[in-house]
Amino acid sequence: MDSIAAKQPDSPAATTRDLGFSFTGNAREYFGIWIVNLLLSIITIGIYTAWAKVRRLRYFYGNTWLDGHNFEYHAQPKQILIGRLIVFGFLALINVLVNFVSPLFALIFIPYLLALPWLINKSMAFNARMTSYRNVRLNFRGSYWGALLTFVLMPMVASISLGLLAPIASRMSSNYIGKHLGYGAARFGTDVKLGTLYRNLGATFLFGVSVTLVVAGVAAAIGYGFFELSGKAALSIDPGRELVSILVVAGVVGLYLALFLAAFFYLAGVRNAAFNATRLDGQHEFKSTLGRGRYVWILVSNLVASIVTIGMLRPWAAIRTWRYLAGSTTLVAAGALDHFVDEAAPKGNVASAEFFDIEGIDFGL
Amino acid sequence: MIEGRYFQPEAARAEPARLWGERGDLRLMVGDDETVHRPVLVSVSDRLGNVPRKLTFADGGVFEALPDADVDSLLDSHGSFFTRLSRLEASWKFVAVACVATLLLLAGLYRYGLPALAAGAAAVTPNIVVQSMDKGTLETVDRLLLSQTKTSAARQSEVKALFDDVAKASGHVEPPLKLLFRKGGRVGANAFALPGGTIVITDELIKLAKSDDEIAGVLAHEIGHVAGQHSLKQLYRVLGISFMIGVIGGDSGQLVDDVVSQASALQTFAYTRQFEADADRQSVETMIRAGRNPLAFVDLLDRIGNDRPGSDETGWLDTHPGNKDRRAATEALAKELGWRE
Repeated sequence: MDSIAAKQPDSPAATTRDLGFSFTGNAREYFGIWIVNLLLSIITIGIYTAWAKVRRLRYFYGNTWLDGHNFEYHAQPKQILIGRLIVFGFLALINVLVNFVSPLFALIFIPYLLALPWLINKSMAFNARMTSYRNVRLNFRGSYWGALLTFVLMPMVASISLGLLAPIASRMSSNYIGKHLGYGAARFGTDVKLGTLYRNLGATFLFGVSVTLVVAGVAAAIGYGFFELSGKAALSIDPGRELVSILVVAGVVGLYLALFLAAFFYLAGVRNAAFNATRLDGQHEFKSTLGRGRYVWILVSNLVASIVTIGMLRPWAAIRTWRYLAGSTTLVAAGALDHFVDEAAPKGNVASAEFFDIEGIDFGL
Repeated sequence: MIEGRYFQPEAARAEPARLWGERGDLRLMVGDDETVHRPVLVSVSDRLGNVPRKLTFADGGVFEALPDADVDSLLDSHGSFFTRLSRLEASWKFVAVACVATLLLLAGLYRYGLPALAAGAAAVTPNIVVQSMDKGTLETVDRLLLSQTKTSAARQSEVKALFDDVAKASGHVEPPLKLLFRKGGRVGANAFALPGGTIVITDELIKLAKSDDEIAGVLAHEIGHVAGQHSLKQLYRVLGISFMIGVIGGDSGQLVDDVVSQASALQTFAYTRQFEADADRQSVETMIRAGRNPLAFVDLLDRIGNDRPGSDETGWLDTHPGNKDRRAATEALAKELGWRE
């Protein structure tokens, strides 16, 4: 490994190098880590989840390589635990107030919305600060108004527009993250083209329609099969009406599934667009070549495999997803990558990071 | 001695390096430079799979050991918790045992642990909390679903007398029971119990009943819910399940999380059915004690069910047992308790 580092020329290269991200974790090794994490988390009624999270992320980051160096996750489990306790205490308090004291406390969502930009910035700053590559850490310096516009107002507008303005919201969030993210003293920059994102929305729409048709077709065939087999078709006074209701149910099932899957299809496209429009230090470019359909297939087959094996294939699924994401990502380096230096940066706030983690909200950082 | 590479403080450039000595007295040589440094170790990343271990020094410099370097021998840390754990994680035998133990623990927790914990939590929930829940829920349903009763005062006092009769027969003491009359509107013929002892019966139900015993049976069923603290237990079980999912689902990814949450919502229906069967049994016992017909309320349920197709059978998504199952179970129990028609 150090031989790789040693081989690299120190002189600024005139040509660019395509450096692929790679992942060296494997399902067998991770299974052991995962099951021990799970067992200890249960035995300690959840306290160990903080240690489990750190070990999980250290495993994934630590096995992700670029140019002969790996990434590193630095959060301390005790920090994470304290963050989680604060979040739990806070959520419990709100629930007690709303349910037992007065429903008026539900109005807390207004100050919550106003605090959200701050929370998001602090969370991203923490997650960035806990990530390093080559001994230099990432950092994030958000702005309150930028986050308010990007993560609170724009999603509302996008949902009112029934998704038609979603590309604008995606562009804003990708650009916002890129603009405020840094690697040591160097800055990232992202400028996604709106056209790319609208093409992605168009492809998502076609994907959604095809999924709806296929799923509805299969569901209708199954429904009709049961209808015939049960012998109700012969007895029914009005079989036409029964058939219509089978079709309606099949259509609803298809649409529901399609919406679900289309969201992941769309997000994979946004990831490609965002990475492809991102530069580090104004010269190193990123490339992301996720196959959107392939990505959705990986997620769906992972889900089925996990459920069928009552979770036992979950570690394999997690490794598979991560490997695909890493393998689809390239850094087009203009010169050597060893001149970066770290600098002091905002530390962020562990409780806000844990809040979004517990709520299952991921801003793609 | 271990081999690896060294990063100067806060810099991305790595140079081949060697590290030797012992924990409190380390020696470091970087690159071709013959100088021997004496770094002070601040922290070392725990062993984890094959991830290279990093030793951070007081000045901010970092030594990254090769993946196969024996860091634990150098630092004499073979006995540390995570080094041991990491060895166990790599052992097939231990992983197999951990698998079985985890599955058994989860199944046991789910089947016995949660219900027991929920019952315990329900038992120690202070009365004032339960009362304020009643108040809150009643305010909400009054605003959204129910309206003022149209049942005459005379009929109300008759039903109230019935209620007192079955309440006495049920032997229930705490929390004190309170009967309220409402017009059901959209919910139609219905009755429900709140955890603090408030029982609500709708005008539609009273009208639909063909005998006093039918109403009394339903009321006895609702008293059974209060006595069994079913709403509270349900609340705590749901809380417990979501906590369990949180613990298990740390690394589950979004899709799995969604599906598991949906599945657990389905499971709460099963819990509810169990509580309903429980309340039915209480109703039968109470009614026999009060010298009334314990099967009457099933007739009333049948009449309600006639408006809703498919309510004869117990399905996956049902909160209440289907009426066929319910009638059979009720008759069997009544017979067992020595009741003759």
